[in-house]
This record gives sequence, structure tokens and C-alpha cells, in this order.
Amino acid sequence: MTVSMRPKYLFKVPVNARNISPDAFASQTIDKIKKFEVWEGNKKRTLGELFEITGESGETPKETSIQVTGDLRRVKRIGEAMTEGEITIEGNVGMHLGEKMKGGTITVTGDVGSWLGAMMKGGTITVKGNVGDYVGAAYRGSMKGMMGGAIIIYGNAGNEVGCFMRKGLIKIYGSAGQFVGIHMHNGTIFVQGDTEGRAGASIIDGKIVILGNAASVLPSFTFDDVKKKVKVDGEEILGPFYSFTGDLVEKGNGKLYVAKAKNQHLDFYEKYL
Amino acid sequence: MTELLIRNGFVYDPINKIDGEKMDIAVKNGKIVEKIEGKRVKKINASGMMVMPGGVDIHSHIAGAKVNLGRLLRPEDHYKDVEPRTSKTRSGVGYSIPSTFTTGYRYAKMGWTMVMDPAMPPLKARHTHEELNDTPIIDKATYPLLGDSWIVLETLSEGRIDECAAYVAWELNATKGYAIKLVNPGGLEAWGFGRNVSNIDDTVPNFNITPREIVRGLCKVNQLLHLPHTIHVHTNNLGKPGNYENTLKTMQCVEGLNHNNRPLIHITHCQFSAFAGNDWRTFESAADKIANYINAHNHVTLDMGQVVFSDTTTMTADGPFQFILYQLSGNKWINGDVETETSSGIVPFHYKRSSYVHATQWSIGLELALLIKDPWKILLTTDHPNAGPFIAYPKIISWLMSRKAREKMMKRINKKARSKSLLPTIDREYTPYEIAIATRAGQAKALGLKDKGHLGVGADADIAIYDLNPEKTDLNANPRLIRRAFKHAAYTIKDGQIVVKGGEVVKSISGRTFWVNVEAEKALVETRILKEKFAEYYTVQYENYLVPEHNLAVSAPIQVHAEV
Amino acid sequence: MPIVKNVTCPICGTFCDDIELTVKKNKVVDVKNACAMGEAKFLNYSDPHHRNLNPLIRRNGTLVETSWTEAIKKSAKILAEASYPLLYGWSSTCCEAISAGIELAEEIGGVIDNTSSVCHGPSILSIQDVGISTCTLGQIRHRADLIIYWGSDPYSAHPRHLERYTAFTEGRFQPSEWKRYVSRLRGVIGKKKLERASQLALMEEFSVPPITGNQFPPTLETEKERKLIVIDARRTHSAEFADYFVQVEPNKDYELLQAMRMLVKNEELEVEKVAGVPVGVLEKIVDVMIGCKFGVLFFGVGLTMSSGKLRNIDAALALTRDLNFATKFVIMPMRGHFNVTGANMVSIWQTGYPFSVDFSQGFPFYNPGETSAVDILSRDESDAALVIASDPVANFPRVAAQNLVKNPLIVIDPEKSATALMADVVLPSTFVGIEAEGIAYRMDGVPLPLKRVVKPPKGLLSDEEILRRILREVRKLKRSQRRSNA
Ligand code: SF4
Ligand SMILES: [Zn+2]
Repeated sequence: MTVSMRPKYLFKVPVNARNISPDAFASQTIDKIKKFEVWEGNKKRTLGELFEITGESGETPKETSIQVTGDLRRVKRIGEAMTEGEITIEGNVGMHLGEKMKGGTITVTGDVGSWLGAMMKGGTITVKGNVGDYVGAAYRGSMKGMMGGAIIIYGNAGNEVGCFMRKGLIKIYGSAGQFVGIHMHNGTIFVQGDTEGRAGASIIDGKIVILGNAASVLPSFTFDDVKKKVKVDGEEILGPFYSFTGDLVEKGNGKLYVAKAKNQHLDFYEKYL
Repeated sequence: MTELLIRNGFVYDPINKIDGEKMDIAVKNGKIVEKIEGKRVKKINASGMMVMPGGVDIHSHIAGAKVNLGRLLRPEDHYKDVEPRTSKTRSGVGYSIPSTFTTGYRYAKMGWTMVMDPAMPPLKARHTHEELNDTPIIDKATYPLLGDSWIVLETLSEGRIDECAAYVAWELNATKGYAIKLVNPGGLEAWGFGRNVSNIDDTVPNFNITPREIVRGLCKVNQLLHLPHTIHVHTNNLGKPGNYENTLKTMQCVEGLNHNNRPLIHITHCQFSAFAGNDWRTFESAADKIANYINAHNHVTLDMGQVVFSDTTTMTADGPFQFILYQLSGNKWINGDVETETSSGIVPFHYKRSSYVHATQWSIGLELALLIKDPWKILLTTDHPNAGPFIAYPKIISWLMSRKAREKMMKRINKKARSKSLLPTIDREYTPYEIAIATRAGQAKALGLKDKGHLGVGADADIAIYDLNPEKTDLNANPRLIRRAFKHAAYTIKDGQIVVKGGEVVKSISGRTFWVNVEAEKALVETRILKEKFAEYYTVQYENYLVPEHNLAVSAPIQVHAEV
Repeated sequence: MPIVKNVTCPICGTFCDDIELTVKKNKVVDVKNACAMGEAKFLNYSDPHHRNLNPLIRRNGTLVETSWTEAIKKSAKILAEASYPLLYGWSSTCCEAISAGIELAEEIGGVIDNTSSVCHGPSILSIQDVGISTCTLGQIRHRADLIIYWGSDPYSAHPRHLERYTAFTEGRFQPSEWKRYVSRLRGVIGKKKLERASQLALMEEFSVPPITGNQFPPTLETEKERKLIVIDARRTHSAEFADYFVQVEPNKDYELLQAMRMLVKNEELEVEKVAGVPVGVLEKIVDVMIGCKFGVLFFGVGLTMSSGKLRNIDAALALTRDLNFATKFVIMPMRGHFNVTGANMVSIWQTGYPFSVDFSQGFPFYNPGETSAVDILSRDESDAALVIASDPVANFPRVAAQNLVKNPLIVIDPEKSATALMADVVLPSTFVGIEAEGIAYRMDGVPLPLKRVVKPPKGLLSDEEILRRILREVRKLKRSQRRSNA
């Protein structure tokens, strides 16, 4: 069962719409859904005031799918803490999409703001466009970032992908900014494109694979070996890769794999072989 | 001014030896009065409810530089516990280190009306007072940290007690403080270079003095100045296995100074100072040893520092201890030393039931409260937020009042801790009368607050009414009811005004800030000498160090006459 | 002539409190003890050409004089109607005004952000991840035998910092260094002359060679003396006074810090140079850090704004924390405005958060990057703003400034700032610390009083008073709104 939504106008101020979620919509009539409370800046509104809403929701979250079409770049927190079901967004969407998500799927055709899938525990988020900073990160001051699930990004990602990540998978087919995986405790991050350096800063454990240019490797990583291939989520990726361990400043045992092909500037490490 | 008549409640007023008697309490002009009549009198029907003096907290870190740094450190702690604004109240955040407005409201909602912030770095006194000004409803006071002040160490090491007393009197006035606070005496000065003192007889580096001499010296000063409270001591070696011996020595070291059988020393959050064992593996409770001593002596009061299993934030002036805690926990760590005076540290800390050490700490606090026979000697605190946030008081009250509640928790804690705990051997259950002592009467008495902690005529009309019927409910068997009642007071009355009703704030007022104004025969401090010293020691000007009375939103000085 | 003593200087985060002012006919005529920056402020603050002396309101595109009543009413209306108003500035006013500002922000469901979100915001975010080992400045004066400035040029930005608190002071455990200071000053002046001469002679741009090399100056290896190290991407004024200057490759501070952490932890580096600094030199510097009795690292916006931003501070905080296993080590941000620390402090105790606090849902919410002024403006999300005691039009990125001025804008400022000139309402205020009292916090969190030494020009109100009036007016508006709704 699908509920379709379309914003009635381009929102000028941020809209906090944490209850656009299969968990909230399930077993509710469209009329009831229209009465759900949302914040447009500091004004309390109803979903019906902000969105055209049609269709029908399922009995359970699992059977509920929500399709939102339009420019949602100022709409925050869609799918927060959702457990099951499906959200499809045709267009761009704002920050905290799928934050603390536990299950289900979110798919976006456009771009997404920062804190995508922050602190998520399960489920899958797929983004066709680009995303902002702090994908799968923790809230300020917390050391518990993404704890499970998968985030797949076909475009580019900003800085600090997977900050304080503990578990799960982040795959970026485009490029990523600085500090990929910073403070990561575990989990896997794969970047097919280039990164802006400092990948793996202060990681304790986990795996980061960079196929493109890595810009630099931190002096606090130790060079292990050249590896022919590495595994990401059960899939073999062909290298060869320079393999590093770190971050030694945190007595870390994380792995950083950087493809040799795009990173000739690191060949001086081969003298340690 | 409202006139109130609280009718037919079960009144618990231990200072006036009233134990659950059904009676009326009359209020006029913010004070308790004999009786009151007339049409304008607002009547509160308290029948079937407990009526107690407003709660008093002798030791709770609610304001000041260190508390604020703790708040800064923990956005992830606030984020999970927010308070939206209402038509009566400002917004704020909890959890372990609530913002100032929220602190005031939450205390009031539980029926507490006076709270002492126990650790003010004198140099930052103005900061503490700014926060206390922004803490609504409750009355407040704060203790300046004086146990490592250079001028105190110097005057005491040279035996110049009078001069030290003069200086302390000046500090109390300059900082608008209430009592003399010592934290790990000598250890904080040593921490200035990253060191510590190892016990009460260790010499403080660079100063020719031992912690014992500091404690004894300031105890004498306290007597000379006739301060309302005793010295308030956080012992050396706090939080270390085997520290109970040092704690006993600290209590013993002032024994001889007693002349009138009155308390001389308050050992705060004693749970943290009642550890036996040689290391964390052999660590165990020394509550029985401390309790035996307390049961045989009358010169000490304690507060519990009861551990509650939760994610909290530890913060003390004990810099070296906080550094150890950082190493033990691996959590983020703040250190904040203050020139010439003191230090401080902050570490988030999660007390877990599954941990042997944490579970044993939980047990120690309760063992102390239950093994010490006289409830006037041990007061209820969590050393907020060090052993847990103050919002846990209702839980602790239920553990004290109900063996059943303790047993329930025992089943869920670390096995080894359970098997070693003394709690299963203790049947004692606090009566409501004893709870009233541990949470208000005893606290006010230890603090020397004459108008607080009781409901006698002339007392401040700070009153808590709890919806708990001692006749109809078997309290010991119903810990859940106890918790519920104490969590949301049916009424809290502050200075004769109804501020909380049904657990919600219905009116917000500014509480007072109490401080001690010492009057002496002669000018206590030779200003010229002090100014010279001051220029040498501090990076601020003497005049700018003084907190003027108008910096306090509602100033409530207590005049005392010193012997010097 | 009356001399006012112990005046605090409302300029930089050094927040000196020993200024002596001579006041004649309600005018400061002489300033003692202040640096050139402070002196200039006290003597020239009230230049009528730069001062707002009347409330202004924009009519038909131009700012015209108006009454207080109208200006306040207009401001209240703008703020009460807005859906996502932004209240920005705060670092150069007193805590009382900040407190009133927070109450106003809560009342109107706005976002309140202070200037730390564009200077030491990254430092604060890192403190929230790592913690910080710090102290008050007197600890440094009395105890520090190693002083490091990183990405900070105190000589220019905090002129009396060195003389009051650090390298050139005298403390209980640290004797005076001032003789060294004088001799070094002479050396510097001599060298400058040489530089100029050589420039003329060679007719080409003269570049100062970095001292970094294998030659380690002997002064660093001797014991006892207080040592001063300057680390920066460029050779600053302060570098000239240092015992040692380390020139770090621009935007490579993070690498350098992490490498130092490696050495502190006795790990070996597999590279020969980090950020342009040979590992051999780095090892010696780290030895000095471990070997000192009390070390301090001051850092400035040179570090917070270099590539990596908050993570540079993350590493610096961790470095100084780790050093505490070997010795005593502290770290402190060189806060810029005299009360930026106070702006953080008040915000923390009232809301739990130091800056970028969003009240739109009735409770404080904090997430810099999302709720910070520059980011909100860059994404064009706000629909009105109040700016106080700062000049974002002059300082913010272009897009942010454009979006700020295209919505209704209220400015509270004693001076005709670039932002004030673009405003819809201008509310002229007094200079706190000269014409009005208050409390402010020094960079190390020591609260000090701001004095009123002269009377303000007629008709001007303090920041606090203006904010309180707006707040009252907003409440009035809301009450009448509720009544008309009912
Ligand atoms: S150093 Fe800063 S505070 Fe001190 S006088 Fe100069 S400008 Fe004023
Ligand atoms: Zn305490």
C-alpha cells in the first residue's frame, strides 16, 4: 500500500517531519495522516497543510510504502527511527534522513543533506545523487555512530563519512571528502572515487577501502603489505592495494586499503616491503 | 502574601519531634505560624498525605564553572532529555547535568526547596552566583574551595591560625560563600604539577604542610569563626581501594578539637571514601568499619553519595582523582585547574549493574545508611551528578524504606557483588520519620540552618506534601508507590507560595542565596598585606575578585560573630 | 581629575583588568596599562561619525530617524511574526544582555548563535568529542616552563597575553623572563633593519628562512628557563620572540599533530618529514614537551580554520591529554572577543549548549552545521534576523551575507557597522564596559566586572535594556494575538 505525498509549495524555513515514516502512517487513514503534526520553523502545522497526500497506507509498517515527490531540501528527519516499510523520495531531501533507522528501506533519486543515516541501526538507504557531511555519524559528543544497516550512495559524499561508526556498511560510488571513517570503531566503508585525505583518522578498528585517489595517508598509519584484492561486504574488489594498519595514536587496529593504481605518490612505502 | 492552611496531613517534622501526627500547618507571610483564620486563607486538603518540611540537599553540584564545563562536554546527554517551555517555565535540558532553570524546577517538583552547591572555586565565584541566580524556586548556597588555597596553606604551615581564620572570613565574604570546603586537601595543589598526595600524612610538595594539618587547621578556623556548618570534607584518596583507613584517620584527626559534643566535620559522599581492598580486584566494602566508628562518635556527619545505575557525569574539584577515572573509563576528560586555589575534573561515567565495582559501590552507600544507627548522622545525597543525578532520590528513598526494593535490585546486580554485599544481612527499613531526617531535618541541622528543615512556628514556609498514606499503605511492601509519591510532590510550597501542584510547576519564583557574613571584633584582614599577596598570586585585581552583594539576585546573608 | 582604576578592557579575550583611565568632562583622556588596541578603543570609541545616535528605521529604501517606541515595536513585530528568526552576535556584549537574548530567542522560537560558531566553534565541537585539559591563566604564569602558541599570533591579536600570563611574567615557580624579552626585542628590531636593507639590496622579495632544520637552538635544551615555541604556517610577529619557531606547511597541521601524538606514544614514524618538518626536529620538540614540568599549548584560529578544522583541535586536545601521562600539560583556545567565552557560558547554563541553539520547537536543540548562523544563511532558511554586537555583513561569506540582508533585519550596535547600514531597524546602544556595566568572562572562564566609566550619550540604551524592551513588546503582541484568536 502506498501513500503519495507532494509538497504544496517550496518551503522557505526548515520543516521537521519526523513522522513521515511507515511506523507512523501504518493503519492510519489519509485523513488522519493529514492531521499529523509537523513543525514548519517555529509554527506547528499539519502534514495536510504542507503536503498533498493521497493513496492508502498498509496495515503494518512493513506493508506501508511512502512516496514523496518534489523539492524537499528543507524537510528534515524523514524516516527517523523507522523500523520497517519503505520510503521513496523523488527529488532532493534535507538533513537527518533515516536517522536512527532500525529497518526497512529508503531510496532517494536526488541529493540528500548531512547526517544521512546518522546512528542508524538497520535497514538500507540508497541515494542516487550526492549527500552532505556526516553520513552515518553520531550526534555531537556521542561516540556511537552508525550501528548497523547499509548506506549506498551513487553520487559523492561530504566530509567525515562514518564518523564514530560502530558497525554496518557505507558504500560510495562517487568521491568523498576528508576524514572518511574518522573515530570509527568498526564496520566497513568503501569509496570507489577519490577522497580528500586523512581517511581513517583516529580509527580503532574497521575497514576502509579507497579505489580512487586517497590524497594522503596519515603518518600515524603503518604500512603492512601490498594486497591483490580485498573483500567488501562479501564481494571481492581487485587491487592491488596498499594495506595500512592504524590509527596508532589510538592503538587502533583498523585497516586502510588504498588502490595502488591511483596512488603512485605512496609508492615510497614499498621500500618497507 | 498568601495565607495557607494545610489541613489534616500526616506531619513529619523530626526537629520538633512530630512523627506522623495528623495536624494542620498554618502559613502566613512566608513563615509557619501558630494558626490562621479568615476568608482569605487558602486551604489545602492534605488528608491521607504526608506533610514534610521542604527537602534540603547538603551536597549537589548544580552551578558554577565546573558544572558548566560538564554541560558543555555532554550534548549527547542533554539531547535525550529536553524540557519544552510552558506558560510558567523556561525550557531546558536534563539529564545528568540539567540546565539551571530545569535544575530548579526538577528539585521543586520533588519537594526540595534548598540546595547547596558544594564546590565553588573562589576565583570564579561570580560565575557560580550567576548560575544560582538563574536557578529558580529553590534557595541556594555554595561552599568556596579553601583546602588548597595558597594563603591557607602558608598561614597554617606557619601556625598562624588567627590569620588563616581572618583570611577565610574574608574569602567567605568576598565570594559570598557558606562553608569551608576541602577537597583532597593538599592533593589539588600537588596536581598543579600533575602530582598528588598519597595519604593524610604525606607532605604537600612545595608547601611545608600535610593534609592532616590542613584539616585540623581549618577545623579550628571553622570553630573560631562560629560558622553554621562544619568543615565539609572530600577526603584524600577518594575513589581508591583501601581508602577507608585514610577516611577514619581524617575523622579521628579532629576528635580532640571537640569541646561541646557538636559535629566538627562533615565527610561528604562517604560511599566513595569507604573502600577496602588493595586494588580493584580485591576491592570491597568498608561500610561496616566506617559505620562502627560513626556509631561510637558524635563529631561527624556524613552524606551518602549513593550510586544509581545510570549514565551520568562525574565532576569534582579532585583533579587527580578525575584523571584516574578517565584512565579507568576511557571516556572524554576535562581538567580545569584554578590558579592559587584548586583544580577540577569531569568524566562521563556509566554505572553498570553488571560491574562488580559499580554494584559494590551501590551496596556501600546503602550499607552506610542502614548500618549507621542514628539517621541524623547520615544524609541522603547522590553527590549529584557524581554517583547519579538527583532525580534518582525517590528511588533511593524506596531502597531505604523497603527491603523488598533492595532485594529486587540485588537480583539484577553483578553476582560477586551480590554475594559479598552486606545488604542481605540488614533488615532495617527507614520509617517516614527517618526519611524526613535524612532528606530535610538532618540536612538543615548539619548545615546550621535554623529556619529550614522543620515546620515549627517561625520556620520558613518551605513545605512538601506527598500523596502517600502511611496508614493505608504498607510502605515497605510498595516501593513503587513510594517512588511515585516522592517523584512528583502533590504540593511544594516555597516561602509560603504554592510553586508545584500535582508534580507540575505552577509558579516560578526566585529563591534566595544564603551566605555567611562574618563579623569580628577587629578588622580581620590587614587589607594592605592581603592586597600585596594578591597582586603576587592572582592574575586579576583585588577589587575585581570581590563579588558585590548586588550580583546575587536575592541575597540572604547570615550574620555570625567570630571569636577573633 | 578622577582616575578610575581596575578597569577591564572590553576588546580582546585577554580581558585585562588593570587598566587605569583618567576621565575629564565625561571623556576618557588618558589610558594607562592598556596595549595600543585597548588604548585606541578607550580614547576613540565615541567618534560621532561612526556612532549610531538615534534609532533608525528603513522607509522607502532609506534609513531614517525614528522614535524608540516605533523602533522597538517594529523590531518586535518582525521577530514575533517570523517562522525561523536568527539572533546572531553576542560576543562583544555583557552576560546580562546575552541572557536577555536567550529569553527572547526562546519566546520567539528562534535560533540564537554567537560568533564562536565562526571562530572557535570547531574547538568547542572537538571538546565535546575529546574533552580538554585546561586551567586558568594564573596557573601558567606560576608554573609553565614550556609555552607553545600554535596558529596564534598573540603579539598582534592579544598584545598583553605574553606579558600578563605567559612567557614574560613572573610566577611562584617561574622567575621573570623580562630581561630576555628586552634583549630579544632589540635583536628583532635590528634584524628588521637588516631585512629591509637586504630587500633593497636584492630588489626581490625577501623571504625569511624558517628556523626549522636540523640545528636545534641550544636554549631549548637547557633546563629551568621558560621556553616559548611558536608553530604557524607563516612567520608571525610572535615567532620573532620565540625560542623556536616551527613553520608548518599550510593546511598540514593535522598531520603534524598526529605525528607528535605518535612520538608521545613512543611509536615510530615511517616518513621522513611531516608537514615540512623533519622527523628529527619533531622528535626533539616532543622531547621538550615530555620533559617540561608544566606545558601549555595556546591555539588560535590559524589552527581552527586550517584544513581539517575541528579535527585539528581534536588532535591537539588528544595530544595534550596524552602528555599528562608523562607530565602536566594543558591547552587553551585564544578566544578573540572579550566576552565570547561569556556568550558560551550563559548559553550553556541556560540551554545546555554553547552556541547555535535552535528554539523553534520550544526546547533547546543544538547541531552546529545545521543550526549555526552561517549554515542557516547559506541554505537560505531564516526569514528574519537580529544582529547584535557583531558585523556579519563584513565577515560572513558572500551568499550568507546576501541572504541575511534580503530578509527583515534588526541591528543593535553602538556603531554604524556594515550590517547596520543594511538593516531595516537600527537600535543604537551604549558601549558596555565604558558606558554600561555588566559581567564578562575572560578566555579562561574567569568572570570579571565591566565598568561604567562615563555617561553614555543621551537617549541611548544598553544592549540589555533594548532586548528587554523588545521582549516585553513581543509578549504584548502575542497576548493580543491570543486574545483575537479566542
Ligand atoms: S591585550 Fe586585549 S584586553 Fe588587554 S589591553 Fe590589549 S586589547 Fe585590551
Ligand atoms: Zn561532590
